[in-house]
Amino acid sequence: MRAVKTVVQGLRRALAARRFLLPSFIVCTALAACGQRSSPPLEAASTLPAIRYESHLAAGDTAPPGGTLRNPHAGDAAVARNGALLFTTMNCDGCHGGDASGWVGPNLGDGRWRYGGADAEVFNSIFYGRPKGMPAFGGTLGSEGVWTLVTYIRTLQAPPDLPTESWQ
Amino acid sequence: MLRAVLIALLGALAATAVSAVTPGTAAPSGAVGGHASDEGQWLMPSRDYAATRYSPLTQITASNARTLHPVWTFSTGVLGGHEGQPLVVGNTMYVVTPWPNVLYAFDLSRDGYPLKWKYRPDVNANALGVACCDSVNRGAFYADGKIVYNLLDGHTVAIDAASGRELWKTQIAALGNGETTTMAPLVVKGKVIVGAAGGEFGIYGWIKALDLESGREVWSARNVGPDAEMRATPGTFKPPYDSGTELGAQSWAGDSWRRGGAPVWGWMAYDPDLDLFYYGTGNAAPYNAEQRLGDNKWSASVLARRPDDGALVWAYQFTPHDNWDFDATGAMVLADLAIAGRTVKALVHFDKNGFAYTLDRTTGKVLLAQPFTQVNWARSIDLASGRPVLEPSQQTGVSKGNIKGICPSLEGGVSPASPPAYSPRTHLFYTSSNNMCMDYAVSRATFLKGTPYVGVNSPYKAGPGGYMGSFLAWDAATGRKVWEDKEPFPNWSGALVTGGDVAFYGTLDGWFKSVDAKTGKVLSKFKVGSGVVSNPMTYVGPDGRQYVAVYAGFGGDWALLAGDTRSDDPTDVRAPADYVKEIARHTSQGGIVWIFGL
Repeated sequence: MRAVKTVVQGLRRALAARRFLLPSFIVCTALAACGQRSSPPLEAASTLPAIRYESHLAAGDTAPPGGTLRNPHAGDAAVARNGALLFTTMNCDGCHGGDASGWVGPNLGDGRWRYGGADAEVFNSIFYGRPKGMPAFGGTLGSEGVWTLVTYIRTLQAPPDLPTESWQ
Repeated sequence: MLRAVLIALLGALAATAVSAVTPGTAAPSGAVGGHASDEGQWLMPSRDYAATRYSPLTQITASNARTLHPVWTFSTGVLGGHEGQPLVVGNTMYVVTPWPNVLYAFDLSRDGYPLKWKYRPDVNANALGVACCDSVNRGAFYADGKIVYNLLDGHTVAIDAASGRELWKTQIAALGNGETTTMAPLVVKGKVIVGAAGGEFGIYGWIKALDLESGREVWSARNVGPDAEMRATPGTFKPPYDSGTELGAQSWAGDSWRRGGAPVWGWMAYDPDLDLFYYGTGNAAPYNAEQRLGDNKWSASVLARRPDDGALVWAYQFTPHDNWDFDATGAMVLADLAIAGRTVKALVHFDKNGFAYTLDRTTGKVLLAQPFTQVNWARSIDLASGRPVLEPSQQTGVSKGNIKGICPSLEGGVSPASPPAYSPRTHLFYTSSNNMCMDYAVSRATFLKGTPYVGVNSPYKAGPGGYMGSFLAWDAATGRKVWEDKEPFPNWSGALVTGGDVAFYGTLDGWFKSVDAKTGKVLSKFKVGSGVVSNPMTYVGPDGRQYVAVYAGFGGDWALLAGDTRSDDPTDVRAPADYVKEIARHTSQGGIVWIFGL
């Protein structure tokens, strides 16, 4: 928890100084090099990256091999609060809207996901970026920063009447 | 023959309005097919260099416009906001779509107007996340047998107007810098003048000229920053209200000009007699103005430059120290107006800040400035200094907290994407307007290259009066509104006015209307399938008849502001905006080209 706070403070200091040299413990460009706490060891096929793009449909009903990622902060409300702060500090709000309800970028609080809404999928979207203009933040934030954002985003609740908009 | 017609036309126009000059080399080549007299064509975005969007055509009049009806439609297959306008060169109509910036060439001489060709560029999809406000394109320019336009991802292309073959493609901007290219180019004296959007990404704003033949860069100039980079030299650069040097750098705290915005994404005009072209710059970045104390010249300004070398001749700042996102990228319309008994070479501009300005386009001095919509950030514009007389309670900044009820909203008293028209017959300007106000809560913005550099939360609400937009006629010689047609929603289309004294506009809820240019009386209206954020144009077809064309295609800022008007992405479902809950009842996205005739 303290580490997360330090991440946010470190980012703010670095950004205020317009330097992006982050504290070394969050500079974590390759998943394999990430700290054990923030990124558990890859499973079976350990040389394969943990990326799975839209891997919900597999030819022959056989999923390709790939590592798994687990959010070390899943469900941690304090980390989520820091994530909300980071969401603004890193300008996520500039594209996804102040409450992540959509702007140029899609709504992140509607419970619907172009690239999957599981922790690992949201992680991959932020860490590596996505087509149509979602920048890769992994290089700036490191995995700890990205997990902090994931933890916040996963707290967003979709409204129950989402599929229907009525004017009657 | 064509030359004789051109000379006669120029003579006639010069007598009434400013010379509405066509490009020197713009007579359509035989290959394209040139039946139409020059006045029946539409060769550049604003029809003429003076940016009047006035067509001298007279077949459609206030007496017969009620019979206007659709004669042809075409789905562009693209859903983004369809800003801009078609061109008609000879017997061909050219249409540029929003990203992915397809260029269609329709053969108007054949039944059903089939395509001659279509050009499909490879445009980087990442541009969709860098463009601040939808995937819009504001149109193409025809010159010397070429269709020239910008792709959203920072490229300018020249396409052979006859064959559709790509002649050159030049990278002018970098997505990684937060730059995208939505504007329509201006071609003048063999040069293609272009700029980039990115006021929400802290770009270092610029304008540049490419050689029309080769696409190679001829000159480039910054809109802010040191004199050398701005192409401002003592003796040549004479701003009407300032003296001294390095104004573009010293009016910014520290080196904040380096990421100070001042993008170029609107419309340009050119005066061949003065040999000056005019363009507006966008907002200063970031929106938190306390990160860039000072006037922030020359953001939110109009700049006059020489096309040959880009030399800056004068500049005037509409909104010093912009702290409301008041871009000045709206059109600069050149007209010779009779003001207080003398004829003045004027430049008329409807600014986002809610004032309509009449300037002397030789010097940049303000002749008059009056609000055309609800304004409370300033009380007036002081003519002696050219500066706004500010309302202290409506100034914003991170230390000032949430400032409530600022009018107009940052969507503008009019959107710069919605250019006005000027009729030399009625001597009136016609423009859309918005009646919206906002709260403005600023936070410190983080500069992280290639991501938004904004720092504000600014919820909107309708302005006083229970309507949110209008289409109005304005007398720029006296600074007063002559008539106004109120609309329930903000009005986002450009204007067209004709020699038949008919004006045209579209509405956000999808009506296309013709009105009496003298009175504003609605003559015809038709529901065109999607909200109109484009600019109507008119031309004479191969059959000798006058037609009016317009795009339907809701979008632009409204793709963001009313996210419930989208239906194409099941993974992105949004609630209606609280101040326009009804808009999605009336429109969804979808690009359609419409042609109307009598």
